[in-house]
Amino acid sequence: MSMASSDLKSAALMDQMKTHFSTDAGKALIEKIGLVYQINIAPKKMGFNEEIFVVDLKKGEVSKGKYEGGKPDATFSFTDEDFFKIATGKMNPQIAFMRGKMKVKGSLSAAQKFTPDIFPKPSKM
Amino acid sequence: MRERLQEIPTSSLNTSGNNFYSGAGEPLSALPGSELEHPLQHQNSAFVNGFHAANDNRLSEVWDGIQNPQIPQFHPGHPQLQPELNGPPQRVLSSFLHAFVNSSHGGVPFGPTQLPVLGLSEGDKRCIRDRSSIMARHIFADKNEDFINGQVNALLSSLEIDNQALANRPYIPGRNPELEQYWNESQVMAPGPRGPDNWADEFAQNRGPQNDPNAWALSFERQHGTGGWASEFEHEQAQMTSVDRMAGANIPSLAAMEQTRMLAHTLSQNSNPKFQNSKFLQFVSKMSRGELTIEDNQVKPGNGDWANEYQQQYNAGPSSWADQYAHEQVSRGPENWASEFANERVHHGPVDEQWVDEFSKLQVNDWADEFGRQVGEGILGDDSADNWASAYDEYLNEQAVLKQKADSSRGVYEFSDLNPYVGHPDPMREGQELFRKGLLSEAVLALEAEVLKNPDNAEGWRLLGVAHAENDDDQQAIASMMRAQEADPTNLEVLLALGVSHTNELEQQAALKYLYSWLRHHPVYGKIAPPELSDSLYYADVARTFNEAAVMSPEDADVHIVLGVLYNLSREYDRAIEAFQTALKLKPRDYSLWNKLGATQANSVQSADAISAYQQALDLKPNYVRAWANMGISYANQGMYEDSIRYYVRALAMNPKADNAWQYLRISLSCASRNDMMEACDSRNLDVLQKEFPL
Repeated sequence: MSMASSDLKSAALMDQMKTHFSTDAGKALIEKIGLVYQINIAPKKMGFNEEIFVVDLKKGEVSKGKYEGGKPDATFSFTDEDFFKIATGKMNPQIAFMRGKMKVKGSLSAAQKFTPDIFPKPSKM
Repeated sequence: MRERLQEIPTSSLNTSGNNFYSGAGEPLSALPGSELEHPLQHQNSAFVNGFHAANDNRLSEVWDGIQNPQIPQFHPGHPQLQPELNGPPQRVLSSFLHAFVNSSHGGVPFGPTQLPVLGLSEGDKRCIRDRSSIMARHIFADKNEDFINGQVNALLSSLEIDNQALANRPYIPGRNPELEQYWNESQVMAPGPRGPDNWADEFAQNRGPQNDPNAWALSFERQHGTGGWASEFEHEQAQMTSVDRMAGANIPSLAAMEQTRMLAHTLSQNSNPKFQNSKFLQFVSKMSRGELTIEDNQVKPGNGDWANEYQQQYNAGPSSWADQYAHEQVSRGPENWASEFANERVHHGPVDEQWVDEFSKLQVNDWADEFGRQVGEGILGDDSADNWASAYDEYLNEQAVLKQKADSSRGVYEFSDLNPYVGHPDPMREGQELFRKGLLSEAVLALEAEVLKNPDNAEGWRLLGVAHAENDDDQQAIASMMRAQEADPTNLEVLLALGVSHTNELEQQAALKYLYSWLRHHPVYGKIAPPELSDSLYYADVARTFNEAAVMSPEDADVHIVLGVLYNLSREYDRAIEAFQTALKLKPRDYSLWNKLGATQANSVQSADAISAYQQALDLKPNYVRAWANMGISYANQGMYEDSIRYYVRALAMNPKADNAWQYLRISLSCASRNDMMEACDSRNLDVLQKEFPL
């Protein structure tokens, strides 16, 4: 199940999201959102060497690679660092968007329902 | 239990494992530099709320506006449409070009003008032709192609530049030898005979002349290096500050400017007077014109700075521009576009396609298209303006609060301003005392006084780092531990603390490096850790070596602790939990170990277990801020936001400087629909919060 083969911080968050779907709080997200998002994460520079994750909030799954069930409802692009910042509440998505640090494709009404901070927060040792 | 609280993390090496790690801190950096932005709109679960546009009868108007934009109303008028035609040729040209640029603000077509003889060289003319075509597509970006061509032709014919004839001639090399050299070198790698001078023509062949909206930007990149005459466009240059200054990073900036420009235009169609006057709209429109750029954490004025800087360079003589450019290329290292470009060429083959790919990946227009379409369909709500405006206001507030933080870079320790322990005869002892009593913030002050007095005191720095980590202040913890490591590069506790903090940060390679260093410098296990492994660390090798160590000394709690951290790194949480539990059998009263177990359980979504582990840690060390904050995280991840708020507030009451907890508190408040407390959170009013959320 692990995406540990990836060095990306985002991969760690995605792993955690994956297990999060087994909890009540995770299942509540499926109820609330019910859409499929593709998230493209670039290690350093937007658009380059992206690793692609699909957060399927219909089925409650996280998978690596492009979405194969048709067209995702929305696709986001980030750098690894920026996604980490947004998911942990350090960066406001709107500001990220204005700065060109977050790109959105697809239905904006679908994108509206997704806030990256729905990702569970990592705890600290 | 009382005397256990008196324990202080030891600094002595103790291979029996007794109390060895009890205090090994675990700083976790808060990604310094990113704190400016907080989540602003969680209550709506809709970060794209701001994309909304007016949803009433003006929809079609907005849509039309996007399709066929008129002059945006928010452009301040620039009255100087009449160029000054007297004076030396340089001035006439300058004035004339300015008039051209300014014509974009008034929306008045730029008419052909009779000019005195300027004595432009062919090279100058070529430059002006190329440049103005590009520039026009930027400054008249809201106009159609015919209009733009008309404007450019008016300019060129006034200057007696033949648009077509020049277009077919080879490009005359500019005045930037570094760039030329670079370019020539880069061409060597190109497949086929591709001269330095005609790449633009080739590009045009490939893409069709100026039909691609990206072409002008691409050409602009190229033009940037070529010369001094462009100073005449300094005003417009300033608008493109981000492009010029950010070198390698310029492409996203350009995209951002494009996005904000379109956003500003659309928002300007919203006739709500409150919104029209909002600071946010002014902000967006300034951004869109490049008068403001956002770099790193700060909004920076584009215009003044850049123009001044440029003017200085320009006054200093024609060569200094090139020097400056070369200098920046050097100083920016891998950031600079040229070398980046070169690297990518090496890796990806033909240059033209590469550029094209790069630009097409930006999808500058996707968003606007999509936005326009959806606005047209009327599926978005009406509250956009307020959302964006309030987001911006909050952004400003946060910026003010966090300004000092933004200036500090990661790894630099920041001392408190007023420190009563400075001048204390023995601040080290005092700091240890305070730490034992659990008064972490006071201990921090005393230890700061110590390291100010004795900057090479590794133990002072180390304990300071531990105190910060327990106080959940990651940035400071890492900075302290790095100083400790400088003073004592082989201190095992410091190495472990750094390994832990980078693991917390999800920085796998750095964490692996420190954890392996721990093994290498260990008096017992060092011999099984081959030094050559340090050069290229693979997780599997490191894990195997640590497992060997655990077999060697199954009774050494420390090796199990490091193993636990290592398995956290690979996100093998079950193994990590097992390792920590083994260690806890050997060191049952190590509060930081209980916290490590809890954090691991929390990260593998075993929240109930995590909470009981944190409780153990807090029983042993009631002022353990990190454990309180972790409690909050566990409740929040279970969707129990009210509970999480109480724990965050508790943690913050003990250490108001724990920025992470403030960020998480904010998220929980909005998830719990407690927006009434948001202001207290933003103003960091703990009195109000504690009264509202007692634990």
